Amino acid sequence: AFGRSVAKLAVAQVCEATGFHALQQSAVETLADIALRYLGDLGKAAHSYANLSGRTQCNALDVILGIEDLGSGLAGAAETSRCVANSAALRDVMRYVEYAEEIPFARPVPHFPVFKKRAPTPSFAQLGETPPHPHIPSWLPAFPDPHTYCHTPVWNERKSDPRLDKLEQARQRRKAERSLVSLHLRLSGRGAVVKAHGSKGKGKRPAAHHPFLAPPLSAGEKEVTLVTPFRGTTELHAQNQDSHGPAALPSVLEAFAPALEAVKKGFEVVDSGSRPLKEKQQTFIAETKDRMPVSLTFDWGQKTRAKALAAKRCLAQPVSPPSNKRARGNASSWKEEEKDEKSKRAEQILAQAMEESEE
Amino acid sequence: MAEQQQQQQQQVPLTGEQLQQVHNDGALIDFLSSLLDYTPTIPDELAEHYLSRSGFQCPDIRVTRLVSVAAQKFIGEIASDALQYCKIRQAAAVKDKKGHQQGKDKHLVLTAEDLAAALREYGVNIHQQEYFADSPIAGTAPSQKTGD
Repeated sequence: AFGRSVAKLAVAQVCEATGFHALQQSAVETLADIALRYLGDLGKAAHSYANLSGRTQCNALDVILGIEDLGSGLAGAAETSRCVANSAALRDVMRYVEYAEEIPFARPVPHFPVFKKRAPTPSFAQLGETPPHPHIPSWLPAFPDPHTYCHTPVWNERKSDPRLDKLEQARQRRKAERSLVSLHLRLSGRGAVVKAHGSKGKGKRPAAHHPFLAPPLSAGEKEVTLVTPFRGTTELHAQNQDSHGPAALPSVLEAFAPALEAVKKGFEVVDSGSRPLKEKQQTFIAETKDRMPVSLTFDWGQKTRAKALAAKRCLAQPVSPPSNKRARGNASSWKEEEKDEKSKRAEQILAQAMEESEE
Repeated sequence: MAEQQQQQQQQVPLTGEQLQQVHNDGALIDFLSSLLDYTPTIPDELAEHYLSRSGFQCPDIRVTRLVSVAAQKFIGEIASDALQYCKIRQAAAVKDKKGHQQGKDKHLVLTAEDLAAALREYGVNIHQQEYFADSPIAGTAPSQKTGD
């Protein structure tokens, strides 16, 4: 099959040199088949001429006679009295070599057929085993191992230390919790306000860093940076990390280092969220695309709620076209509800994680 | 046959005819050495594989090259005959419809039909089915059904 495909390639090259622009697949296959048969027949004819002369190895003259045999007869039939070297067929071939341009084969062809060397099965004597039964000589190949055809019992050879196992388990659990916490912080920090966990009194998240609980800045107090794609309270997360103490793996901190830097920049932007409406409009235009609408989940007074709704409205403005005031209000309230559920869920999971980590 | 002539050469002083033979042998030897420069399109490994399958055995690479060159010449002849058939067909098509058809004609394609026509001259008869049908009566008018 490999030889056939190589022959197809060679034949296609010859046809291309003859002047064809394209070839039909079936035509190429047929022609390759013919070429291979010609090769075989020529070899057979040459070999039989050699045998006729009492030789086993073929000669150039044998080949020439073979060519004459297989020739089309256009150059004149071979005559027994003529010298072989003077044959017309040979002259034809020589003429062809001279005038036709040389077309080397397109790709290197490895020597084939390739024989795969197989390592023979070692004998009993080579393995150093004694054959199980006396009628089996030792120079025969050995039997396969019993576990390849019988069910043999398997036991764990590793020594298990229960204390180390527990430590390892605890470490893995802590790692999982940490990643879960960071994930939910990220989710909740996107737009929803995380419930003031300062009320829980764990001291892990001081209220001063809370963007919406911080005192409002006056206009122009802080510089606003442009869009920071990573929003979230990873700074809080970092604090969580530290609070874990010696168990905190440095690799996680390192992993979040770039994110931490981004958030540190971003917190300046987040702080500006507590500014009055006008400035919000100016500052938030760049971020609304990234930022999810803000939703306040705790039951405060009307004032704060109104303030939040107003903030959302101005946020929702660039997002949805200002077609209908009512629609806007609806949309914002719906988004708020959605955010409420999401953030509630996030808080629940967060609370669970906190409790677990406290143990 | 050639060996006998060579033996005669050694024993008897050369005649005119034998001189020609020596010259031809020399030409053959030169040709064989020139084959070392010429790389035939059919790779040596392929030729060796199929020659060994048919019993041909020769340690001399030039003889193998001679074989592959002969095969290449053979294929080249068939290809050129097929090319001529193709050109005849195109010329016939151009005669019927001129103008638009001429633009397409320069695209020469080796088709199985042209190849079959070319091979017929060499005594190789190739017949390819034009279409395949699943039953002998396919394509014929349906016979009238009798009431069952």
